[in-house]
Amino acid sequence: MKKAVSIFSSLALMAGVLAGCGPDKDTTEPKTNEKNTTTTENGMPPKPEKLVVWEDVKRGVALEPAIKAFEQKYGIKVEYKEVEMATKQRDQLRLDGPAGTGPDVITVPHDQIGQLVTEGLIREITVDQSVLDTFTESSLKAETYNGKLYGLPKAVETPVFIYNKKLMDKAPATMDELYQFSKEFTKGDKYGFLALWDNFYFAHGIIAGMGGYVFKDNNGTLDPKDIGLNNDGAVQGTEYIQKWYKELFPKGIIGENGGSTMDGLFNEGKVASVMNGPWAFQGMRDAGIDIGVAPMPTLPNGEHVKTFMGVKGWHVSAFSKNPEWATKLIEFLTNEENAKKRFELTREIPPVKSLINDPLIANDEGAKAVAVQSQYAVPMPNIPEMAEVWGPMATALQLVANQKTEPKKALDEAVKTIKTNIETNHPSK
Amino acid sequence: MNMKRQKMIRLTLSYAVILAMTIIIVYPLLWVVGSSFNPGQSLSGSKMIPDHATVAHYKELFDTSKSDYLIWYANSLKISTLTMIFSVILVSLTAYSFSRYRFVGRQNGLITFLVLQMIPNFAALIAIYVLGLLTKLIDTHLGLILVYVGGAIPMNTWLMKGYLDTIPKELDESARIDGAGHLRIFFQIIMPLAKPIIAVIALFTFIAPFGDFILASVLLRSKEKFTLAVGLYDLVAKQFGNEFTTFAAGSVLIALPIAVLFLSFQKYFVSGLTAGGTKG
Amino acid sequence: METSMYRSSHRKIALCLSIVPGLGQLYNRQYVKGAFFLILAISYYIVFADLLDIGLWGIVTLGEVIGRDHSIFLLVEGILAVIILVFGLGVYAFNLYDAYKNGQQRDLGLNISSLREQYHVLIDSGFPYLMISPGFILLVFVVVFPIIFVVLLAFTNYDLYHSPPAKLVDWVGFQNFIDLVKLDLWRKTFVNVLAWTIVWTFGATTLQIALGIFLAIIVNQKDLKGKAIIRTIFILPWAVPAFVSILIFSGMFNESFGVINKTILASLGIDPIDWMTDPFWTKVALILIQSWLGFPFIFAMTTGVLQAIPDELYEAAIVDGATAWQKFTKITLPLVLYAVAPILITQYTFNFNNFNIIYLFNGGGPAVSGQNAGATDILISWIYRLTMTSAQYSKAAAITLLLSLVVVSVALWQFRKTKSFKEEDMM
Repeated sequence: MKKAVSIFSSLALMAGVLAGCGPDKDTTEPKTNEKNTTTTENGMPPKPEKLVVWEDVKRGVALEPAIKAFEQKYGIKVEYKEVEMATKQRDQLRLDGPAGTGPDVITVPHDQIGQLVTEGLIREITVDQSVLDTFTESSLKAETYNGKLYGLPKAVETPVFIYNKKLMDKAPATMDELYQFSKEFTKGDKYGFLALWDNFYFAHGIIAGMGGYVFKDNNGTLDPKDIGLNNDGAVQGTEYIQKWYKELFPKGIIGENGGSTMDGLFNEGKVASVMNGPWAFQGMRDAGIDIGVAPMPTLPNGEHVKTFMGVKGWHVSAFSKNPEWATKLIEFLTNEENAKKRFELTREIPPVKSLINDPLIANDEGAKAVAVQSQYAVPMPNIPEMAEVWGPMATALQLVANQKTEPKKALDEAVKTIKTNIETNHPSK
Repeated sequence: MNMKRQKMIRLTLSYAVILAMTIIIVYPLLWVVGSSFNPGQSLSGSKMIPDHATVAHYKELFDTSKSDYLIWYANSLKISTLTMIFSVILVSLTAYSFSRYRFVGRQNGLITFLVLQMIPNFAALIAIYVLGLLTKLIDTHLGLILVYVGGAIPMNTWLMKGYLDTIPKELDESARIDGAGHLRIFFQIIMPLAKPIIAVIALFTFIAPFGDFILASVLLRSKEKFTLAVGLYDLVAKQFGNEFTTFAAGSVLIALPIAVLFLSFQKYFVSGLTAGGTKG
Repeated sequence: METSMYRSSHRKIALCLSIVPGLGQLYNRQYVKGAFFLILAISYYIVFADLLDIGLWGIVTLGEVIGRDHSIFLLVEGILAVIILVFGLGVYAFNLYDAYKNGQQRDLGLNISSLREQYHVLIDSGFPYLMISPGFILLVFVVVFPIIFVVLLAFTNYDLYHSPPAKLVDWVGFQNFIDLVKLDLWRKTFVNVLAWTIVWTFGATTLQIALGIFLAIIVNQKDLKGKAIIRTIFILPWAVPAFVSILIFSGMFNESFGVINKTILASLGIDPIDWMTDPFWTKVALILIQSWLGFPFIFAMTTGVLQAIPDELYEAAIVDGATAWQKFTKITLPLVLYAVAPILITQYTFNFNNFNIIYLFNGGGPAVSGQNAGATDILISWIYRLTMTSAQYSKAAAITLLLSLVVVSVALWQFRKTKSFKEEDMM
């Protein structure tokens, strides 16, 4: 009995000691994060030793000359690492950022901005108006969320019309012409035109061109409560999509692996034309195809195909200890000279006003087509609610493509799901 | 006469089934080999017997200036080998204790081992990441190896314990009477008899890292530290412009050594697994 | 009563002194051991004080200042701190016990054993613990620790709008579980997904087991030639990493361009089948592929069991006039099933959680109208979808927790029925 008592008392004593040490630390703890130590005293804070940049894979070539120039000009070392842009930069920043091993500057597609800001992973930047004036308006809009600027655009992309010059003399002006051509050309494993319209990214062009929209744009603010994906225009667009699948597209390009299948067919010279983004050019040329590029043909209603525009931007990590210098760096990376060099090396099209009419871009068929198509394009919504749109829309489009459901019904259901998802996962702000 | 005819029918049917299965098994495998020699990049253009066979994809993989494949291969071999060695040691120790000693917590331990292998834990990747961070094992092969070894313990301990249970206890008892210590009994009597199951476990733990691309991609950050699975998965996971035929070539080169290993271990395999399986 | 046997109270003094680890041992004149405990305690304190400090505070509060405190990292550190604390307390308890025990020896007037003798006692009684501990410690950190993390996460509000560093995460008790039942969105899909998960688990696993056993029996026939080669071939699917095979199959099943529709079915004069776009056929394809992937394991094991069945059994059966079918159902099958039952159960649980095949084959597709998951999404891949698209981390953890409870309890219940748990000696 006594034994038990003494063991208990000693345990209790220990517990007491521990309890004492817990709250104790509230005051002694602020060693965990030294984010707020850099204070600006008129002008720039002291120069850091180095800045770290994450660049997309295979794009480092374009960064190298720019950072070399930056190092020379400012005497700050810049290191870069290639990290896949679509998901890995975000996912790794989530982990590496708080761990203190993250970069100062990252690059992500602009549609992730809302999410990154909500999670507190990137920070607002302030740059001079003179810098802002160099970029196209739509690209800056894409980098803005809730009225604040979160990055500078480095490249824009939007799907365009790509054709095999051996199989098609020149790009058709209208989708009707393309339809006629395709009717005659498609036979066996030859296809006149292919597009991944079961993927909302590509289908949006048709749907929006016919009058649909994702979120109502009220002077720059997107309203996640007003969804226009089952209005009359959207239904007409989806019916048009269904027609192509019914009459001309093979089933094998539907679904998860459709993209690679389509690329494969095109690269083997079995497809006369496709709708695809500028990222596909190089692979096609590598495969020995002589490609021509043009803006998308106009829709039967006379409207342009309102493709989604994606803006890839440079952003300052919220974990950066030198946000001012990081901002300086991205200003430098996106200035006219470096943007031009980037275009020469990677063929990424910079949304820099002075370059759009530069002979370098104007004489490049692909770049010009993208630049022209961009004028009709709509920036992808960058609010976090957009995450709820892709899945249900893909479902609806797939059902339509497979001829399983009527467009109207599929879209109604998709919009219903999107709305429920938004209500559940994004409590109104 | 009738008996003989019956036998004939039975054997013919059996061979027919075996032939059918062989085709089903070998066809996809041959097809992978075939497409790895196809010129294009895509799946759709691939043929089992290519018109213009090429070793270009293999060349590409082995060209160190263009691809990190060889580095990944070396990484994978290193990680797999070390995982195998550590796992075999730890599993043998644990399984031996569970099989031969009756100690407090034994039964609960065994049940825990059983339960642990059933819980899906990829929601916990972030936890493993932070653990790696605290121990400075992020982006190191050691960290990854430790995770693999830890993960291999429950299932393999069960297998091995089952096998050890079939080795008569009289053996260790007589050795003990002769004055052999714990370690001696373990190393000189039990382990040699457990060769088949050790072979099986070595094989399992060697192969497991080759198939994992989830843990490895969370823990490894630099490209030059990737394993084959991570690197190869990247080749096909790209939604646009994936390189299927190169992937096929890469896969053939992974599957080859593993298959050879498997087949050379086969005789242990049947005896090792069975005893473990039947009792465990 | 027993106290009367003691001649002194060294045991109590030693116990009390050992509140500071090692002092009791020193008092018992076991200097080496005492010093060892003392040093151990001091170094434990030096090494872990910070982690324990921050961790224990962190796991309770999940951070207090936005920006400075990262709730999730604190949660992880907290779990680690608790684990380390438990280890520490274990050693501490042993230290107390040891001091008391040796004090008692002195009280009874017995000689305290020397270090060497102690060492032998330790080795003898502690040998199994000693052998298990390296594996055990690794297991705790690599496997148990992440599981604890998921369990705790299920009781927080970690999602997109409660994400560090912008926000702190808080403990919310059972809120996630309540939401799971209450909200239509979650409940509606759940039933459909669960139904297919069950069909999938039983369909795919049973087929692979049946195929494995069937082939093993065929190959094991005495008068069959070429056993070695046949067995080699039949084990091949196992030798190729599963993710490679699945991706290959996904290519082969492509509706317009895959070999299956284009070459095989075409040459048999069968119309192309909607392998990827029709839910029914996608499910069929998945089950077939899983059988292909999974049967070799069963095949190898069954082959072993068959070789171990004594011939006399069959001879006796023949004498009794048994038919081949009777031999199979009365002797072979029961023996095989009896022998491999525990492994079979793990096969079922494996497929229940078989994320890779679902994800890699068709991403859970094809799409189905009116639900939040694809037609072939099983619970685990659906959880993944939820986490990835909606960033509902804590909800996903809650579902994982519920799932695990179900799987584990069903499996344990099944295990208890198999023989290995019944044999006294086995456990």
